Amino acid sequence: MEAELREKAKELLGSGEIGVVIGFGWNKRKTRTTPVFITKAEDTDKLVFNAYCVNNLSVYLTRKYPDVKAMGKAAIVAKGCDIKNLAVMIAEGQFKRDDTYIIGMTCSGVGYKQELIEANGGELKPEIMPVKCHNCDVRNPHISDAVIGETTDFTPPEEPVGMVFDKIKQIEAMDAKGRFGFWEEHFSRCIKCYACRQVCSLCYCDRCITDKNTPQWIDSSAHARGNFSWNLVRAMHLTGRCTFCGECERACPVNIPLNVINKKMAVVMEDAFDHRSGYDPEVHPPMIVFDIENDKEEFIK
Amino acid sequence: MSRIGVFVCQCGNNIESTVDTGQVASDMKEMPGVVFSCTYKFMCSSPGQEMVRQAIKDKRLDGIVVSACSPHMHEKTFRKASESAGLNPYKCEIVNIREQCSWVHHDTTKKIGTRKSNDLTRMIIERLKKNKPLKKINIPVNKKALVIGGGIAGIQAALDIADGGREVILVEREPSIGGNMARLSETFPTMDCSQCILTPKMVEAELHDKIKILTYSEVEKLDGYIGNFTVTIKKKAKYVDESTCTGCGECMEKCPFKADSEFELGLNKRKVIYTPFPQAVPNIPVIDAPNCVMLTKGKCGICAKVCGPGSIDFEQKDEFIEEQVGAVVVATGYDLMPNERFGEYGYGKIKDVVSGMQFERLASSSGPTGGQIFRPSDGKVPEQIVFLQCIGSRDEAKGVSYCSKICCMYTAKHTMLYKHKVHDGQAYVFYMDIRAGGKRYEEFTRRAQEQEDAMYLRGRVARIYERDGKVVVQGADTLSGTQVVIEADMVVLATALVSRPGADSLAQKLGIGYDKYKFYNEYHPKLKPVETVTAGIFLSGACVGPMDIPESVSMGSASASKVLALFSSDEMAREPIVAAVNKQRCNACWDCVVACPYTAIEKEEVKDRQGNVIGWNANVNEGVCQGCGVCVAACRSKVVDLAGYTDEQVFAAINAF
Ligand SMILES: Cc1cc2nc3c(=O)[nH]c(=O)nc-3n(C[C@H](O)[C@H](O)[C@H](O)COP(=O)(O)OP(=O)(O)OC[C@H]3O[C@@H](n4cnc5c(N)ncnc54)[C@H](O)[C@@H]3O)c2cc1C
Ligand code: SF4
Ligand code: SF4
Ligand code: SF4
Repeated sequence: MEAELREKAKELLGSGEIGVVIGFGWNKRKTRTTPVFITKAEDTDKLVFNAYCVNNLSVYLTRKYPDVKAMGKAAIVAKGCDIKNLAVMIAEGQFKRDDTYIIGMTCSGVGYKQELIEANGGELKPEIMPVKCHNCDVRNPHISDAVIGETTDFTPPEEPVGMVFDKIKQIEAMDAKGRFGFWEEHFSRCIKCYACRQVCSLCYCDRCITDKNTPQWIDSSAHARGNFSWNLVRAMHLTGRCTFCGECERACPVNIPLNVINKKMAVVMEDAFDHRSGYDPEVHPPMIVFDIENDKEEFIK
Repeated sequence: MSRIGVFVCQCGNNIESTVDTGQVASDMKEMPGVVFSCTYKFMCSSPGQEMVRQAIKDKRLDGIVVSACSPHMHEKTFRKASESAGLNPYKCEIVNIREQCSWVHHDTTKKIGTRKSNDLTRMIIERLKKNKPLKKINIPVNKKALVIGGGIAGIQAALDIADGGREVILVEREPSIGGNMARLSETFPTMDCSQCILTPKMVEAELHDKIKILTYSEVEKLDGYIGNFTVTIKKKAKYVDESTCTGCGECMEKCPFKADSEFELGLNKRKVIYTPFPQAVPNIPVIDAPNCVMLTKGKCGICAKVCGPGSIDFEQKDEFIEEQVGAVVVATGYDLMPNERFGEYGYGKIKDVVSGMQFERLASSSGPTGGQIFRPSDGKVPEQIVFLQCIGSRDEAKGVSYCSKICCMYTAKHTMLYKHKVHDGQAYVFYMDIRAGGKRYEEFTRRAQEQEDAMYLRGRVARIYERDGKVVVQGADTLSGTQVVIEADMVVLATALVSRPGADSLAQKLGIGYDKYKFYNEYHPKLKPVETVTAGIFLSGACVGPMDIPESVSMGSASASKVLALFSSDEMAREPIVAAVNKQRCNACWDCVVACPYTAIEKEEVKDRQGNVIGWNANVNEGVCQGCGVCVAACRSKVVDLAGYTDEQVFAAINAF
């Protein structure tokens, strides 16, 4: 699979059509993979693909990285789940489908955290896979220019399984006070480092609303009010858009269960709008779309 | 430092009874930036306005706050006064201390009302400090109008606009203009023949050099905004070349195939190549494609053989026409609730149960019976006839909750028409109430009862069934408290007037509102009855709700006067309350584009000096923007702002609370 990937990258860089291949490469000790930006055909051997490749590289195609954009047309190594983000970005006009070459990787799951795989002697066991992998329906990439790897045969369970779903049920069973207490406790740890925002390819705004100060919309203090403001705004701004790639929770240094918020909002969106994000690059996320014709509610018409 | 003046109105006793306006004025005077304050009995009166103007000049005010009634009432008044005193009108703000304060508080010690008036005024003073002077926006006006629907309302609007010297495109879905009025026999309350008063108008429209009639056509798309609409019209293939057809009718004569006539509501047949009625305008036939043997099976073609000028063209295709117009009048009329909905009254099962409109055709001298009342089943003259009012109307459960308004009148008319044609016949009317408001209307329904022998029974009909060639009507007469059984020969149902199928999708194309019955919404039911929420689009006739001909005609003329006023100058000024994007910060995510209900935001290319596209941003079209602010809420990075309601202004107000 890696050989095939390197071959493809070589071919793309050689053709002159592609300026940079964004992919995964080993760190020095081969205990982690990190993003690599290959611009020369002779460097393509640095590309790897394995269970350590948990990062969602789509963030490097956002306006947050003008230096990557300056390298020319990009080819990106992407798992099915990463492609979902690309689809949302295309739907939201961040780039055109033709502007990026998608090297879709067939996938049999990754580790939730790279250190867990390392601790496991480099082996991927189901226990250390994130919830998204257990329920994955895009192990064979759904949108791509080339697919690398053999078609995998995996049917996700009909009812999604995993800790996140258990937690959602648990929280739903609480009363309002209990729920508020649950989140208050978690949000109280937030240190406003904005790592969740930085790692998210759908938090691509040039200037985040939290950074707007004329006037100041969001209280930026790292106290209860500011923490709630930020976390609620983050959740709302990603509703109907978040693809549940899990990068924010992975990046969070104080372990706020962001996956739970994100998934809950996704479930709400599916119920309300029949929408699952990341599957169709032609469909703008529905939260704010003015669409009288297809609205389910009569009163609005 | 600002120089703000605060004017607190007593509104006679309307405000003063629960608000100590003197106290409010003196409290506000203490606020930083306020240099003048006063109160007055009626600030909106001439002396009141003069006080405002004087103070602006004498105290060199750079902004004023008027604490009075709703801005809906007098914002315009005070902005005008400001302007005439040399102050930018958008530096004048209104605080509503009447509807939102004095009227909802009953504390005559005035404590609560005064405190709340202070709070509200203080907020707006802070807001005003952030107001920027704004200038009205001028947009060019294209002086051509589009009228959709060629019923009497649309014809009237078109004629009046054209007589005012402006060009009109009249789009009609059917092969002829005329609408429902063309079907009517005689019209209440004067009993003149419908066709005789309608057809001269149809011909006038046809011959008017400022009117272009497009029949068999529909509006496919409307883009743009007031003064500058682009309309795409779909002109369905008629398979007849309109430029050469002489309207001789030879083709209709010779066509061997027939289909049910839509115009005659199934009471009669028409040819497959047809005009809906003899006085059709334009008098050019169309081929009913699904029923034409030539078009479906490639056989026949007789019409083409007999046509002298060779106008038949089986190859003709639907055509799309684009036109630029400055205003639109929607006059698409009404439909009748499908009678099939009323199984209990035997409609569809019993041939001699017909609708009111079918009765119009039977009574019409140009109808299928030549104006003789024959019943459909066997052509017998009905000796007893029963009319049922309120079929589907005022019936939340099975029909619609509103009153169809004209049925009382036309049913009375029907009983008279019947009596005039069947002298020994007896008409019965089952009714709930008689609603005959209108000039000479009450007299008209009375005449039906008192002079024309119609028997009016107040009550509902429970059942209708057939027995021995009779239609038996079983009902209650609630006035005498008896059960009534009438062995009638024929029954006429006054079915509810409803909106046209597809009225909603047309509204969506045009961007106008409609109610739950899909009748179009006026901007204001009393004060702006022909305007819609979308500037430049006006309403006329029964597409707004059930109405009769005089009302439809009035609305047609009213819309025309609005259009002509709009077309009276080359440019129009509009409120500058529009959104603007901070383009340096725009992420080109298009959230605002998909959120805007008026499609006012477009995707704009960003180019470098060489003209290469290097990016995109959103751009608000000032002509289309209605200032609703949805985009401001939608934008995740808050780079859209609404002039007159900027974030800074809103925050300043909130923070002052
Ligand atoms: C049984 C009966 C008897 C009546 N008798 C009387 C009477 O005696 N006196 C009286 O004053 N009133 C009477 N009326 C009421 C009268 O018919 C209406 O007031 C009048 O016809 C309304 O005119 P209009 O132009 O608004 O609508 P319509 O006559 O319905 O005309 C609308 C036109 O628009 C066209 N159209 C619709 N949709 C589109 C589209 N999307 N694109 C293009 N064209 C479109 C239609 O084909 C039609 O030609 C009677 C009504 C009924 C039902
Ligand atoms: S979610 Fe699917 S595509 Fe993504 S890493 Fe897991 S198994 Fe692979
Ligand atoms: S203010 Fe409303 S109408 Fe104007 S651009 Fe924004 S969303 Fe559209
Ligand atoms: S929503 Fe905001 S960022 Fe997105 S396109 Fe509109 S103005 Fe730009």
